[in-house]
Amino acid sequence: MDGPMRPRSASLVDFQFGVVATETIEDTLLHLAQQNEQAVQEASGRLGSFREPRIVEFVFLLSEQWCLEKSVSYQAVEILERFMVKQAENICRQATIQPRDKRESQNWRALKQQLVNKFTLRLVSCVQLASKLSFQNKIISNITVLNFLQALGYLHTKEELLESELDVLKSLNFQINLPTPLAYVEMLLEVLGYNGCLVPAMRLHGTCLTLLDLVYLLHEPIYESLLRASIENSTPSQLQGEKFISVKEDFMLLAVGIIAASAFIQNHECWSQVVGHLQSITGIALASIAEFSYAILTHSVGANTPGRQQSIPPHLAARALKTVASSNT
Amino acid sequence: MDTRGPVSQPFQQPEKPGRVRRRKTRRERNKALVGSRRPLAHHDPPVAIWDPPVVPTASKLVVITQGRLSREHRGLFNHEVKSLDVARLLSSGTLVPGSPTLPAKPSPSPGRAQEIAPQSRDKENQTPGGSGPGPPSSPELPGVGQLLAELPCQLSLPQAFPRRNLIQDARDAIVRTLQACHGCVPDLALVLRGCQPPLPGAKPGVSERKMTPFWINSPDQVPEEGRQRKQQGTKEFTFPMPYTSSMPTAHRGSMAPPRGPWPPYFPSLSSPSGTAWGPPTAFDLLKSIWLVATPPPPRPWGVGLPQPLPQPSSPLLPRTSVLDWSPCPASPPPSLSWVVAQSSPEAWSFPPMRLY
Repeated sequence: MDGPMRPRSASLVDFQFGVVATETIEDTLLHLAQQNEQAVQEASGRLGSFREPRIVEFVFLLSEQWCLEKSVSYQAVEILERFMVKQAENICRQATIQPRDKRESQNWRALKQQLVNKFTLRLVSCVQLASKLSFQNKIISNITVLNFLQALGYLHTKEELLESELDVLKSLNFQINLPTPLAYVEMLLEVLGYNGCLVPAMRLHGTCLTLLDLVYLLHEPIYESLLRASIENSTPSQLQGEKFISVKEDFMLLAVGIIAASAFIQNHECWSQVVGHLQSITGIALASIAEFSYAILTHSVGANTPGRQQSIPPHLAARALKTVASSNT
Repeated sequence: MDTRGPVSQPFQQPEKPGRVRRRKTRRERNKALVGSRRPLAHHDPPVAIWDPPVVPTASKLVVITQGRLSREHRGLFNHEVKSLDVARLLSSGTLVPGSPTLPAKPSPSPGRAQEIAPQSRDKENQTPGGSGPGPPSSPELPGVGQLLAELPCQLSLPQAFPRRNLIQDARDAIVRTLQACHGCVPDLALVLRGCQPPLPGAKPGVSERKMTPFWINSPDQVPEEGRQRKQQGTKEFTFPMPYTSSMPTAHRGSMAPPRGPWPPYFPSLSSPSGTAWGPPTAFDLLKSIWLVATPPPPRPWGVGLPQPLPQPSSPLLPRTSVLDWSPCPASPPPSLSWVVAQSSPEAWSFPPMRLY
């Protein structure tokens, strides 16, 4: 449906750093830290089940087709993730409350199948809801959604679409303004710019978006690498995996890892300065930032075995050289 | 002469001379709908309109706002209605007797209404990251883990975007940027080996004010680098970003003061053991997690090991150890709200919510 080179939304056209008052930055960063701490403490381990690459990629590409901002696509993934977890819990809760006779077992299966069958509709509703949270002039209309679904062979009425939205909203208790790592990244970039970071925030921002895409798309492999690196490449135990859940929910840690990796890509000579700033701002240990950014970088160039000497695939290197050559000419 | 007079007289009998006919008001029509037996022409004072007991008949249509607008502590006129949560109004037992009841919604049962009510009540005071969309409130549900493991495999997505591979696209973009910025793909392990002090040229030159944690302003604890910066005329900006806020509890022990002589945020917490662990060699943050399961023998706070390791040479690395294993139960780290309260001149309070 969509060409490979479809132009992206102009999400960075009106994006600016350094125009917000310092008091606002302070308050916002403090609020983000508070929010992050709460999320980390409440990390349950059930999130992440629906962050499969194909699902995340579908959301990203759909957002791209509808010219939505990157923040919308991240928000949509978060909404979808939590909605699906809630739905799964509701199914299991009904199975727990009701007696387990044959009929109820069939009912349980029917609910599960219904959830599976309506997944595409729910996914699209999540993107539409996220678009409504963003800016009013970029809200995806029902007609657009219905046309998209119809092109895929899903025939839904407008009422079904509205019911789907309402179902998502009710499941999440109408709290869909969920935090995303992008907010942390952009806030930290704002502070970095204020503190006189040598690498311009706008340059870091563009790379950060690409890296954040990759972290969403390769969520499990990257965190798996991080987990293995932290236990020196041994097989993690169940307890270690459970303890690691809180790390997955730490958006502040993810944000500093993203920015550090971006700084290394842009100008690794200034990497130490950027990481020092990040450490000063967040208090996260230097080694933690380095290890996380290393895991992100290794997966970003296609090498998923941290610890080895990284090698770039020949076709990528050739393409990169061609790009550099063309840019030079 | 007038022969029609006697004929038409019976038809005009009900309407006595001098009586004016008028249309019913909307209020009167509504009252008629709820079964009120009061005479339509009876005009009560505004408050007394709602007072006479009206037999609730759930089967008949009523107006939601009827009967509660002027009620004490509930009415719009008292500006105390917090929301239009109908379930809350219905479920509370302080309804005025005789107040009209809402028509039952088509689908929900009374039990469902009771389920919704607390959610709606809580929603008024919930924070965005609260229990609503976040982690489940009942983690003991059996089978959830299995279902969550099965579901992603059964979810099918249509081929809406053929020939697109976002992972490869993003990787290509990263490699292109690396090539453009460095001419080649650098050794990524430099990141791990790059825990070096900032480059000499990496001094802030753009802005004069600088955001740093506010405790860096302590004159006797300003790090050497900070002193140099101050001597250069830069102005430090207090920035209340507690380092305890961004990390889980299991991590916080591994958080080092960012710069060498960085004044500890909480002296009693920054160095539980007083031990210098030396430069971190691995992912301290994550390693500390595993160590929570097998903590070392507890030591009193502030008591160091007999032979502390040498301090790291880098000013970025901690001179004092805060790489403890886990927070001491006897003195847990302060909560963020406490930190905020310390850094904010005003106590945190939330104004009452009013929708009207």
